[in-house]
Amino acid sequence: MTSQSAAVLKKKSDRKKMGMKARENVYQGILWIFLIVLALTMILPFLYVVILSFTDSTAYQAGKLILWPEKWSTEAYQLILSGDGFMNALKSTLFITVIGTPLSVIINAGLAYMLSKPIPGKGFFNKYVMFTMLFSAGMVPNFMNIKQLGLIDNYFAMILPSLCGAWTIMVMRSFFQSLPVDLEEAAKIDGCGPLKIFARIVIPLSKPMLATMTLFAFVSYWNMYFNCVMYITSTAKQTLQVYVQKVVLSSTVSDVVDLSMDLATTVPQEVMRMAAVVVVVLPILIIYPFLQKYFQSGMMVGAVKG
Amino acid sequence: MAKKKVKYKATNKTLRQQIYEFRWIYFLGIPGLIILLLMNYMPMRNLIMAFQDYNPHLGILKSPWVGLEHFQTLFQDDKFYNMLKNTLIISGLSLLTFPAPVILALIMNEVRNAKFKKFIQTSVYLPHFLSWAIVASLTFFLLSTEQGFVNKVAEMMGNEPTAYLFSSKWIYVIIVVQSLWKSVGWGSIVYLAAIAGIDQSLYEAAKMDGANRFQCMWKITLPSIMPTVMVMLILRMGTIISVDFEQVFLMNNAMVKQQLEVFEVYIYNNSIASGSTQYSYTTAIGIFKSVINTGLVLLTNWITNRKGYEGVM
Repeated sequence: MTSQSAAVLKKKSDRKKMGMKARENVYQGILWIFLIVLALTMILPFLYVVILSFTDSTAYQAGKLILWPEKWSTEAYQLILSGDGFMNALKSTLFITVIGTPLSVIINAGLAYMLSKPIPGKGFFNKYVMFTMLFSAGMVPNFMNIKQLGLIDNYFAMILPSLCGAWTIMVMRSFFQSLPVDLEEAAKIDGCGPLKIFARIVIPLSKPMLATMTLFAFVSYWNMYFNCVMYITSTAKQTLQVYVQKVVLSSTVSDVVDLSMDLATTVPQEVMRMAAVVVVVLPILIIYPFLQKYFQSGMMVGAVKG
Repeated sequence: MAKKKVKYKATNKTLRQQIYEFRWIYFLGIPGLIILLLMNYMPMRNLIMAFQDYNPHLGILKSPWVGLEHFQTLFQDDKFYNMLKNTLIISGLSLLTFPAPVILALIMNEVRNAKFKKFIQTSVYLPHFLSWAIVASLTFFLLSTEQGFVNKVAEMMGNEPTAYLFSSKWIYVIIVVQSLWKSVGWGSIVYLAAIAGIDQSLYEAAKMDGANRFQCMWKITLPSIMPTVMVMLILRMGTIISVDFEQVFLMNNAMVKQQLEVFEVYIYNNSIASGSTQYSYTTAIGIFKSVINTGLVLLTNWITNRKGYEGVM
């Protein structure tokens, strides 16, 4: 009798467990569908552009919906990459990115390290940095300043304004403050000077944080748009973002692309525009996987809170 | 000040000796201080243009002074009120999307499969790293009247194409959806981190009491991240006078000029772009915006500190 009822009870609880499991599966299924749809909205617009950018000019008909080209070709890319417009823009973006990114990280790290030490005047320097977050002179005074410094149409007009940021400095400072002091103390006793301690101990210990900051700096220089619009007057010095914007909005794409050969007429403008977008985004997509590692780390949280 | 002096005495070193001791530390910080001086503090001297009738031929030192005239013009200018209205409309509509990253974080937290979660995170964070120029281009490919994907689909189904990008009705929707698309994933990181910090024993106890997952989410997860949500909301309110200028600038065209003319767009179009005709007036507009902005930041800082949320940040 008792064993029987126990068996019934067990069966009941099994059924209940199975019911719960089924419900859990349905629940997970709904979550998955929602999240997959969301992820697709993030990826599909770009995928559409990538696929269309490889359409052969003979397979393209203006105004007709194409999801999968009948004939593939890389002619749009050949045109874009051979044009002077792209080469100049690439040179300019590479210059500001290659100079700006390491300089930005080094200068910010130096200042942040200084603020993390018990130096005389620390309170003043902290306020000095924080105030730039609080109040900005605005667009016209900034423009006049660049003009007064004689930097109009100079690459440094794009590099200098985004070199130092209060937010980056504050994130770096709190990271340096969280480092154990023992190592630095030990190095000091061994006769290491402050510069050597910074280079040999602090920087190696801060690698993950510095890597994240390097990537942020890289993205901000690579995506340089408005400072170029404001401060750069010659077309040859414009950045890739300005170039791609012109390609997309221009009604005569071949002028912006600035071909060295006269081939432009065969490739549809829309396909060229899409190829230009793909080429400009590509480096971001290449470094993106390296960012992944840091997505869940505290640094990113500080980054978002900004 | 007095306290500091005591501190210096305690180390038996004069201020000069202390500075000397830290000379290499200062050396590391000086480049940054100089850059901030050049790029953030030096522009501030040009703020006096707002109180002058700036003439590029005379320069800042010799241009005639007009006092607060530009500010008086400002408050009587219909365009100014239109700019304010547009800014508040765009900010207000964006504020409606504020719960989206919270909801996304809650949903992502419910996913069991770690690999799938990672894949979703990777794809939703991606738009954050694209420039506005690229996002505007993608929007153009999707919505333009003749070539746009949406209109091609509409045409296939026999509908007339709609000029979304030139429509005063649609443009605000486009702006808000763009912002949402670009920032929803990135914005959820802070909430995911807050969720990761919740004490797991709370969930175990709730499970013992027979709570289901939805109840756990509603009664434990959400209340636990509420302080973070509040702080983010307060900080967001602090930026209500600012819009993402690059985005609005890139989406601008002659047909939606009236709707998208926010402060910086007007400032740019009437100063730098048009060749120094209204430098003084646009500087005055800039000062108005900066002062309101600073006030809001101070206010939000004060609120978050007073409410005892500083631990959250």
